[in-house]
Parts: sequence; structure tokens; C-alpha cells
Amino acid sequence: MNRFGLALKWLLFVWMIAVIWAAFMWIPSAQGFKGESSRIVFFHVPTAWVATLAFLVSCVASALYLWRRKPKYDFGAAVSNGLGLLFAVLATVTGAIFAKIMWGAYWNWDPRQTSITILLLIYAAYFALRSAVADPEKRATLSAVYSILAFVTVPFLMFIVPRIYFSLHPDVITNSDPNNSLDSAHLKVLLASLAGFTGLSVWLYSVATRIEEIRHRRRQEVL
Amino acid sequence: MSDSKKQRRLWYSVGGVMIVAFLAYGATSFKSNLTPYVSFEEAQKAPRKVQVAGGLVPDSTTYLEDSETLQFGMVEEDGDTMTVLYKGVKPGNFEEAVQIVAIGTYSEGVFHANQLLVKCPSKYQGLEEAPRSYGSET
Repeated sequence: MNRFGLALKWLLFVWMIAVIWAAFMWIPSAQGFKGESSRIVFFHVPTAWVATLAFLVSCVASALYLWRRKPKYDFGAAVSNGLGLLFAVLATVTGAIFAKIMWGAYWNWDPRQTSITILLLIYAAYFALRSAVADPEKRATLSAVYSILAFVTVPFLMFIVPRIYFSLHPDVITNSDPNNSLDSAHLKVLLASLAGFTGLSVWLYSVATRIEEIRHRRRQEVL
Repeated sequence: MSDSKKQRRLWYSVGGVMIVAFLAYGATSFKSNLTPYVSFEEAQKAPRKVQVAGGLVPDSTTYLEDSETLQFGMVEEDGDTMTVLYKGVKPGNFEEAVQIVAIGTYSEGVFHANQLLVKCPSKYQGLEEAPRSYGSET
């Protein structure tokens, strides 16, 4: 283990603790929210961001696989989609909790909820496809093509749909009303959390791809 | 050699066409399928349970404590209004609602809601009562 990597891991650990502390202790209760529900924004937005980022990484890795045909790109794409799915589920769950507290129901098929469900199904199908093909090269090729096609829907489902339709979902990041934006304390913690979650996902990605590569080598030794 | 190249080009064009097809599908399909909210006009015709969304007509709220009945006017984006009747406890801060979703059926001139989702104005900004929390930073 190199020292630099170790230092980065410790930095991430301390950073995330600081973010969690700031989100719960430093930030005051926000205006108009029931209870302390506003604090979920510091975790809900970063999980959604990491999911989007992971799907993008998978799309790029898939394109690289189709171009270079190296197994490591296939592992990268699969690991990245796994992370994307995990964080998308976390975003869905945190969103449902917020919906229950603020509006009165966990789920009412708001456009935002419908679009994330479709996204989850699309990426769950990626793993169904992977498990259905036994030949590694064929599996890698097919899932790479699928992953690229799946990513085409991401901008629609994550960004466009919720903005076109009436939705209960708060819209504070993109709206133009200065009175309804995040105040500087909220913005600072949100940005810090986005950075922390991004670091966390990079670390998870690197661990998971290394595991996949070891598995791959093992399989080849057995053969 | 040229044969495999040709095949490759074919696959690329098939892939390209599929991406365009997905894009077009994505752009058009969610037009009607993605939102569960129907307009007041549609709600009045629909025989089944529907969701309507809109704002609260100011000063239209009446609440009968004894029978736990809430009545209010809802206004749609295009200006249509509709009377909504809800049996149940009035949600907190109901008069301040900026967006309301009512789930139920329309009959005899009123919308009978089984469930209400209420969105009150909220800002990701600290409460005025607690400015001290900022002091340490700025």
C-alpha cells in the first residue's frame, strides 16, 4: 500500500465525518421544512450525482471496451453500473423518506419518482443481461452496447422529465429565483458533501475493479 | 479483411440508428406516460381514482372540526378551479400550501379526495431565529 493512497483514504474518512457533522450540527434548521427533513439534501443530492457520474463512467468504459477489447474496461463498466445502481437506490430511498415527511406519502408516482424507477429498471436489466451470457467476450460486448444505449436515457430521466412536468420535487439547484436558492452555509456543505461522495465512489470503484481483476486472473490460472 | 471492415461498419451504423431510435423514443414516450397527474377536466370524466395537482385558492378553506371534513378550492395552471372535499384531519400549515396533490374521484360537482399531499413553501436557508449558527463562520 503506498503512502499517498493511505493518506487519501484518511483524508476521505475525516472529510466525510466533517460533512456529516456539519450537515447535522452546524447547519441550522431550514425555513418551512417539517422537523429536520431539510438535512436530507446533503445526502440525497450527492447520491443522485454519484449515480449519474457512475452511469457516465460505465458508458465511457463500455465504449473503450468496444474499441480496445480489453477485459479491464468491461470490469470497469460493470463495477461502475453496480455503483450507479446502488447510489440510485439510495437516492430513491432518501427521496421517499423526504416525501413522506414533507408531503405526506412515501410514493405517489410523481414524475421524479417514475423516472428514477424506469432508470433503476434499465440498469437492473444490465445485470440480468450479464448473468444471461456465459461466454465472457460475448457478455462483455453485449453489455457494453447495452450500457451505451442505457446511458442515452439518463439525461432525459434525470434532468429533463422532472423539469417539464408538474412535480412536488424541490428545484433549488437550477431555478433562477434568487430568493429560493440555498444560502451560503447550505451551499458550502452541499458542495463539500458532493466532493466527499465523489471521492468515496472513486475509492469504491478502485477496490471493486481490483477485485474483479484478481477474479479474472484466478479464472485464467484455473484454465 | 475488407469483409470484416464492412461488417464492422454495418454494426456501427446499426448502433448509431439504435441510439437515435432510443433518443426519439425517450423524447416522445414520456409525453403522456410519465406524469400521474391529470387535468381537472380529465378528472371530471375519469371513472377511476386519479391524482390532480394544483394550487390552493386563497381563503377558500373551510374545516369542520366535528366531522373532520376539509373543503377547499384548487386552481390549475391554466386557471381552472375545482372544489375538493377531504375527509380527515387537516394537514398542518394547510393554508400556506403552494402545491397540493389530491388523490380521489370526482362526483357530483366535487372532487372527493382520499389522500392529500401538501407542499408548503420551504427554503434551504437557516431560520431567522437562529442566526448565531452562522456567526462562527463569517
